Amino acid sequence: MKMTPSLIVGGSVAIFASVLYIAVLLPWSTTTREPSDIFRWRTPLEERGRQLYVNNNCSVCHSQFVRPIDWGLGAERIAQAGDYIDERPHLLGTQRTGPDLSQAGGEHPDDWHLAHFINPRYVRPESLMPNWEFLGMENIEALIAYVQSLGFKMADYRMERQRYWKEKAIEAYEAGTDANVAWLHEMVPEPWRNLPNPYGTTEAGLKRGQRIYQSFCIGCHGPIGDGMGPAAPYLYPPPLNFTTLKGRGVSGGILYYYIMNGITGTAMPYFKRELESEKIWDVGNYVATHFIGETDAGQPPKGIEASYEPPPGEYPYGVSRLGANER
Amino acid sequence: MKFEFLKEEPHGTTKAFFLSSAVWMVLGTTFGFIGAIQLVAPELLANIPWIVFSRIRPMHTNAVIFGFVGSGLIGCAHYLVYTLLRSPLYSEKIGKLTVWMWNLAVVLGTLTLSWGYSQTREYAEWIWPIDILVLATLALMFYNLFQTARRRQEKLLYVSVWYVFAGLVFTFFIYFFGNAVWNPATGSITGMPDGILAWFYGHGVVGLFLTPLAVAIAYYVIPIACRAPLYSHTLSLLGFWSILMIYTHIGAHHILQAPTPTWLKVIAITGSIAMLLPVSAVLVNLWLTMRGRVANMHATIGGKFVFAGILWYLLTCLQGPLQSLPSIQKVTHFNNWVVAHAHMGVLGFSGVIALGGIYFILPRITGRSLHSEFLAEMQYWLVLLGMAGFFTVLTAAGLIQGHGWLQGETVYRMLPQIHIYMVLRLAIGVLIVSGAILGLYNIFMTLYGSRGKEGLS
Repeated sequence: MKMTPSLIVGGSVAIFASVLYIAVLLPWSTTTREPSDIFRWRTPLEERGRQLYVNNNCSVCHSQFVRPIDWGLGAERIAQAGDYIDERPHLLGTQRTGPDLSQAGGEHPDDWHLAHFINPRYVRPESLMPNWEFLGMENIEALIAYVQSLGFKMADYRMERQRYWKEKAIEAYEAGTDANVAWLHEMVPEPWRNLPNPYGTTEAGLKRGQRIYQSFCIGCHGPIGDGMGPAAPYLYPPPLNFTTLKGRGVSGGILYYYIMNGITGTAMPYFKRELESEKIWDVGNYVATHFIGETDAGQPPKGIEASYEPPPGEYPYGVSRLGANER
Repeated sequence: MKFEFLKEEPHGTTKAFFLSSAVWMVLGTTFGFIGAIQLVAPELLANIPWIVFSRIRPMHTNAVIFGFVGSGLIGCAHYLVYTLLRSPLYSEKIGKLTVWMWNLAVVLGTLTLSWGYSQTREYAEWIWPIDILVLATLALMFYNLFQTARRRQEKLLYVSVWYVFAGLVFTFFIYFFGNAVWNPATGSITGMPDGILAWFYGHGVVGLFLTPLAVAIAYYVIPIACRAPLYSHTLSLLGFWSILMIYTHIGAHHILQAPTPTWLKVIAITGSIAMLLPVSAVLVNLWLTMRGRVANMHATIGGKFVFAGILWYLLTCLQGPLQSLPSIQKVTHFNNWVVAHAHMGVLGFSGVIALGGIYFILPRITGRSLHSEFLAEMQYWLVLLGMAGFFTVLTAAGLIQGHGWLQGETVYRMLPQIHIYMVLRLAIGVLIVSGAILGLYNIFMTLYGSRGKEGLS
């Protein structure tokens, strides 16, 4: 084959054209333009937020498609081509230094997002996300509106739920501590309310609980559990002050239930995706012993004791009887 | 001395591209370093808008692709074309103009990204006016080199020349379509097809801009450095036409787990595996040219860099097809594994070959030896150690993330697990940034310093 400039240029153009046809034009002309069942159009404010997301390249850390193998945020619905009919440019993303956002709308209320955009570590202490305070309040509001729209109709449904429970939570908070605690207890299903923490207090368990507390809780509830973490000024109702809860019958079950499921409407997220059973009991007991000042850990009814539990005795060598004695 | 904007001098265009490449290597790696700091200590540089992580990351990738590696390879490409065709560059004035335009594009691209103007699709982040400037520069470069080819004294076109022209043609068209320049406001089309187009571009801009030019340099440097004829013309032909046909098809392997049409995924995966064909054709050809003469390759610093570059090419091109398999992507997608792979392709392979080309050609166009062989050796080891370290650390971090996610851990839970790897990566970044600084000093002094020894050693 005799290689000449025109052969090289002509051949390259011919190859490029045929590949463009196969790899771009064919999929372009055959991909669905039908909206999926969850699709809706964005509002002008959400569009403005999306433009900020585009201009600041948020997609270098956040993907926007859920895969069949995914767990975690938004993994309730696997992505469909019809979800993307209004994406221009596409924001599929190639990295997850932060979570996938395709179903982020309505996972948290707006005030959580405000604190998170001001400084992500206020609510997520180990986050690597940059602070976005410099964008200014107006832009942050647009970004929040966009994030809350992710997931389209599914997000709208979640947002409606956030608004409904926020109203209830504010009403309870404004009625005073007694009423608020009573309301919170009432919202926990009966069997959980009467359930003590099944594991006894040990030094190791408290250490693990403290580590979890620092990774997940400290930004709102603060290092001494008084609800005065750095996120607190942005949140309403404010984070619960654990130090006022002594003698109010906060069982291990109640703590577990709220850590697991969160309090929708408030900034308290659910942690069941990030923490497994033992971690939740541990952090619950850490809060109970260190901040509330009483614990029901290891109290009956216990059923069959877990095989690894140390014998009852003097803490830290065995299971503490602190809770039992104080009752 | 009066500064002349389009000064005509022998090899002026090549020299100016080399200097640009050295400057952008310092800036581009520094941007990467600033980004790496933020993955270790996100509060250290908090609330400085123009270097916030998500802006500095595309500043880094684009400055490195177009500024550092792009300029270096283009500078070499100019030299290869007029040397191999035995004809002076058609116009040094146009050449100098393209140097300025190219640099202006990278400067404006960097600044606009830093100010928060972006079209956000990877490596297509630069906004429309800059896209037009890039396209105009590529067209002008092509015109200049094509006119050189028309006036050539040498009738036979050596394989390096094929790659340069094909690379320029492909880069122009893939940049044009990939940036959707007919849609100035968004630089994109709509929906899933935009994802497909964007990855047709994102994959191709590395594979059809950097790869052909780097391979052109390897084809040029290796026979000269080894003092041996090229092993096979047939393998050259096979490698050349097959890479153009296969590489172009496979961009969709970046979105295998998204709702991409299944038939396109099949094309992307089979094509990715088929990439072993062009790669082995090129590497076998170069390897057999070097057989028994690898010591000759290592007699000059330029040859050393090129040899290291094609080793990284081999590794990249073994890993690439492997990670296009869905069963492997299940673990590797979305995490630092891919970042390791990208560094191997752009820094390890094409970046190292660009440096090799620069150091190989510099003594030939200045008529004197490098300002300092020692500094070039230092840079060689800093870049190679840095690259190997990056690859190891980022691959490890990626596997940890990927397996954690697959077991149901959330992204947030895995961040503390990779912290130490981000610290190591930052430390290793020091090697690469210092290598870049040594390179800039050495290249600048070779071109303009008074200390250079006369005569080609």
